[in-house]
Amino acid sequence: MTVEKFYEVIGGDYAGTKARLMTDERIVRFVNKFPADGSYQLLKDSLASGNVEEAFRAAHTIKGVAQNLGFTALFISAEAVTEILRAGSLAVEDKMPDLDVSYKRTIDGIAQIDA
Amino acid sequence: MRTGELIFMSNGIGRGKILIVDDSEMNRSILSDILCDEYDIAEACDGLQAMEILNKEADSISLVLLDIVMPRMDGFSVLSKMNEARLIETIPVIIISSENATLYVERAYELGALDYIQRPFDTLVVRQRSLNTINLSGRQKLLSSGSEEQLTKNEADMSTVINLLTNLLEYGDAGKGHHAENVRIITETILSNIGAISFKYKPSSADIQNVGIASMLHDIGMCFVDKNLLKGKTDEAIAEMQKHTVLGADMLEKLQGKEVNILLRRASEICRYHHERWDGKGYPEGLKGDQIPIAAQVVAVADTYDKLVNKRLNRHAVTHDEAIAKIMNGECGAFNPVLMIVLKSVADTLPAKLK
Repeated sequence: MTVEKFYEVIGGDYAGTKARLMTDERIVRFVNKFPADGSYQLLKDSLASGNVEEAFRAAHTIKGVAQNLGFTALFISAEAVTEILRAGSLAVEDKMPDLDVSYKRTIDGIAQIDA
Repeated sequence: MRTGELIFMSNGIGRGKILIVDDSEMNRSILSDILCDEYDIAEACDGLQAMEILNKEADSISLVLLDIVMPRMDGFSVLSKMNEARLIETIPVIIISSENATLYVERAYELGALDYIQRPFDTLVVRQRSLNTINLSGRQKLLSSGSEEQLTKNEADMSTVINLLTNLLEYGDAGKGHHAENVRIITETILSNIGAISFKYKPSSADIQNVGIASMLHDIGMCFVDKNLLKGKTDEAIAEMQKHTVLGADMLEKLQGKEVNILLRRASEICRYHHERWDGKGYPEGLKGDQIPIAAQVVAVADTYDKLVNKRLNRHAVTHDEAIAKIMNGECGAFNPVLMIVLKSVADTLPAKLK
């Protein structure tokens, strides 16, 4: 699918991202790097091991990257998790499903972007 | 490339190098991609690595783009370390963060960051802010080495525009020029010497420069008062005249965009509060002591002094010594005692500097 279609599928902001990053070529280059970013796995691992600080930083990174790439749905769900962790709480069970879904949708979508 | 030439002019070391500090490889590569056409890039994945690079090659770094939340050592700690090592005086820092809480922004500025870019960032904004910041700090390096004539064209243009503006402002009277320039000179002189006397106020060279430029706009609100109401010394005339503080500050705040511009913020503080008094008997809000922003306190002293001695402003102008005496003994206002000590220490240098 096209980059524009990809943004539609994942609940992202294509127009805004294009305005900020200026070219499709640059957007695709960065979007394709996203699956290799280890923050999501780090978040899962840190939550499993109860390391709230590490989990906070990982969620915060996902939030920042998602914001820069215009992955709006992922940004919103990562922000919700980030704020709970920032307060020092690990009680993110309610918020993680949204983040898991957005993340998976984003990763799946990236695999389908036209080369 | 045009921007490349500007950098060359401003720091004299050719193509500048930007240190990007962010724990996310993604974020680093986006920034690097945006900037690598015009600058060499160094990357650090946390504060510790950033400090290693800064300590090793401080002279080659023209700018640091700094994330706040990072493992091992965060952005605030990097700023603190840069203060301790006095690197903050020569290497400009722009914070790039998704944190938009005022507390974060304030703290970053207090620690000497020159600018704050919020995520999601825009290609053009990152490029232009980087260029502006490098140019501004290039000026600081030149100023601190005492060769003011080497000011780059950009900065000279900026000063010219502000001079022009303030000359126009000086009540449309061609004979009254130089007050704004004098206020800037006195303000910068006091701020440059306050750190040696006070533990509380330690302005960075960036602060001094921002407050200095901003001080020139202290009376900009005079443009908006109703001149017809100013005749005589009636209560109405005085009330109208006093509005220039609020009107100027409000105008400057309206110019403030989504991201805080520190120069506008200082200018607005100065406009609003430069007629407050240390004893709380000033206007417009009757703030007392350190409730008054320090920038406005300093400008109040500078403004008072120049109005006392400036023959173009004051038919009953007094000599330098008389002016200093009047300010010291409280005849012309009530000021922060620390500022009085600083004023006393720099007083002898003022007449030669002023126009």
